[in-house]
Amino acid sequence: MTKHIEGNNTWQIGGKTLSSRLLIGSALYPSPANMEDAIRISGAQIVTVSLRRQAAGEGKGNPFWDIIKSLGIEVLPNTAGSHSAKEAITTAQMAREVFGTNWVKLEVIGDQYNLQPDPFETVKAAEVLVKEGFEVFPYTTDDLVVAKRLADVGCKIIMPWGSMIGSGKGLMNPDNLMAIRKQFPELQLVVDAGIGKPSHAAQAMELGYDGVLLNSAIALAQDPVKMADAFRLAVEAGRLGYEAGVMKEREFASPSTPTVGTPFWHQFN
Amino acid sequence: MIKVSVNGEVKELEENLNVDQMIEALEYKVKGFAVAVNTTFVPIAKYDKTIIKEGDTIDILAPVQGG
Repeated sequence: MTKHIEGNNTWQIGGKTLSSRLLIGSALYPSPANMEDAIRISGAQIVTVSLRRQAAGEGKGNPFWDIIKSLGIEVLPNTAGSHSAKEAITTAQMAREVFGTNWVKLEVIGDQYNLQPDPFETVKAAEVLVKEGFEVFPYTTDDLVVAKRLADVGCKIIMPWGSMIGSGKGLMNPDNLMAIRKQFPELQLVVDAGIGKPSHAAQAMELGYDGVLLNSAIALAQDPVKMADAFRLAVEAGRLGYEAGVMKEREFASPSTPTVGTPFWHQFN
Repeated sequence: MIKVSVNGEVKELEENLNVDQMIEALEYKVKGFAVAVNTTFVPIAKYDKTIIKEGDTIDILAPVQGG
């Protein structure tokens, strides 16, 4: 009987030991019930959430937060919407109190058109937050030097983008992502943003990334729950492929069927 | 009375309210929130000592979906 080979089943991030390498967002789903089902079937053990203004009279409860709590998985609050280190730091501090975690997905946007992270403000905020005891998950570009600066200020996790947030374009610069992986074997690296298809997630994992964070690719699929399952499998497949060791590319064709004993070949003279 | 901005809207409050009293006066009922005054976080432990002043900008944030 064939037995499935399981990869290195657990990994460490932010002081936690987890088995799933898929980090999932909680936004943009067709309904709260659909979000809940998708998150559950994805097997993700980290879900991203946010903080926003809400009018004073908007009911006493918070059904969204009740669902997230009922999932029993790690919560990763983001600082989405921040345009300066100061805004991001304040949001992180507020999130720590509301969500009861020192984890923060640091997101400081530098351009409204492509939502590209501002590397200068991100590093500035990361330095302060690390000193304040936060476990910082910085969202950044695939720039090696920015990753280095984030590591220099104490980040143990770096989250380079695959491509623009919500674009679904996949990994625009796999070589850049690979360079970061090679430069920082000791850091936890997560591709965050731009993933559109399960194959994109598998590709990120095959590069040796420790995890993949995505939201739109699942929430905006025609069937988010089925897509969540697809991403669960893709992340597992990509990781297994990485652990198994991908063959080296060759410049020329090389037959896979043995040439010895090839029929209908006869030597004359 | 003083005028302050709460979550982007102008509100009138009694003078010398602390953050606890401000939340009560605003009848803010959303469960689980955090407060910033003039973009500086105010932890729960400092609610009673933080007095709201004329022209303050107050943000009260609660959990929502995020990516």
